Amino acid sequence: MSATSIPPGTTVQTSPKAVACARCGTQIADGYVPVSGRPSFCSSCRTLVEAWPYPQWLRLSLVGLLVLLGGALIHGQKYFRAGRTMYKGERLVEEKRYAEALPYLKQTLKIAPRSDKAVLLTAKAALLTGDMQTAGAAFDGHDGGKFENGKDAQFLEVSTIWHRAVDAMKKAQAASKLAVQDGHEAEAARMMHEAAAQYPEMPSLRIAAEAYDGGVAFEQKDYDRFLAISEKAWKEHPAADSASGMASALGCKYAATGDESFRQRSEEMLQKAFEMAKGDAEELKTLNEFSERNKYRLETRVILTKSEYDKRFRSSSGQPAAH
Amino acid sequence: MFFIPGPVIAALTFPGVIVHEAAHLFFCRYFKLKVYNVCFFRLGNPSGYVIHEPSENFTAMFFVSMGPFFVNTLLCVLFCTAAFLPVWELKVFDPLAYFFYWLGLSIGMHSFPSTQDLSNLWTMAPKLAKQGHVLAIVSLPLAGLLVVLNYARVIWADLGYGIAVGVLGPLAIFKALVR
Repeated sequence: MSATSIPPGTTVQTSPKAVACARCGTQIADGYVPVSGRPSFCSSCRTLVEAWPYPQWLRLSLVGLLVLLGGALIHGQKYFRAGRTMYKGERLVEEKRYAEALPYLKQTLKIAPRSDKAVLLTAKAALLTGDMQTAGAAFDGHDGGKFENGKDAQFLEVSTIWHRAVDAMKKAQAASKLAVQDGHEAEAARMMHEAAAQYPEMPSLRIAAEAYDGGVAFEQKDYDRFLAISEKAWKEHPAADSASGMASALGCKYAATGDESFRQRSEEMLQKAFEMAKGDAEELKTLNEFSERNKYRLETRVILTKSEYDKRFRSSSGQPAAH
Repeated sequence: MFFIPGPVIAALTFPGVIVHEAAHLFFCRYFKLKVYNVCFFRLGNPSGYVIHEPSENFTAMFFVSMGPFFVNTLLCVLFCTAAFLPVWELKVFDPLAYFFYWLGLSIGMHSFPSTQDLSNLWTMAPKLAKQGHVLAIVSLPLAGLLVVLNYARVIWADLGYGIAVGVLGPLAIFKALVR
């Protein structure tokens, strides 16, 4: 508050006779000539009112605050970096550039795993790029997925996507269990297609669904279709599993036609699958199991399902399957 | 709406009162106005004051009256910016950040000029505004708005202003920096 009046209790003398200081009341005896309508001051009060000093404690407080502010800015650098990556991620999410947003948001979570905003943005970006693992980890780091405001629009949006993805994964898991049972290939493929349709953001579900279509074609002894599906999977997703799928389809074609080129290509694709699986113990185990059956298929031109092969040549059937 | 006595609020947010009065004093000194008395903080009403001579210079009166509004707002944004991310966005518990946020909000809460400050302007501005004085023209709606907000202090308009400035200011800064 500022006021343009003289402090209460003081007397302002405006006549030529005035000699009392308007501020302290002492008699002015230093030759000062009072001006009509203006308060008169003694020399010490005049100096004071003309340039009221900033108290020492105020100056020191200001210096202290500036030092603290500087300290806070240096101390807060990690927060500024985290905030910068979060806002960048948020902007990319708004532009639906989810894959680009994810690395920025993951950076933010390293500093702020309990930030509702960062967690929800990360989960949204991850889920909409088919990365359920990152979304799950983000939720786990945030009090196991508990949020203060369960009615927040962003929370509800992410929650809806999460439940859609979880449902799709349940269907995919059920489909994969069915797929290893002879005679259930068609049902497994249908369920996997449902899962892929429910959660199209995860490309591996669509790839799996197409691979299951290959299983259906194999079961129906439609080896041309089996080969076409396997070739498509290999072109779209060149990896050890799609290479072994193609080796299997080519092996079937050789067994059915006796055309040596199919046999040669089947062996080449299996070789490629082993090269691509280097360092992946689980994939190598699957390939070794399949390699034995494919060798039998190529040598005898007899096509057996895994169960049939296991029954005929193996004591247990606990190994992973490939057609 | 709950009532908390003014002195209690002033005590809890005393840095804002001190900054407000220091800003008055700064502009009095800047425009070479005589200052008769200064109280930076007290447990009373008002909780601080600067008594100075009147001036015919509207620019001087504008800055002496409105100076604390600009200074407190600026400092509120500055201090809250240092603490905004850990407190509001990242939800990181950092005592220093909370201290700065309290400081920023305290300063922001005491941005509004007093009714006395505004009445000084209000009496001078209309005449000068008619003569085309730009600052007088600008000051009229601003002073009018601040008068309303001043009365709205009973419903915590000052705290609302502090929070709005302390949240929206840093948010705008960070969003602009990321663009």
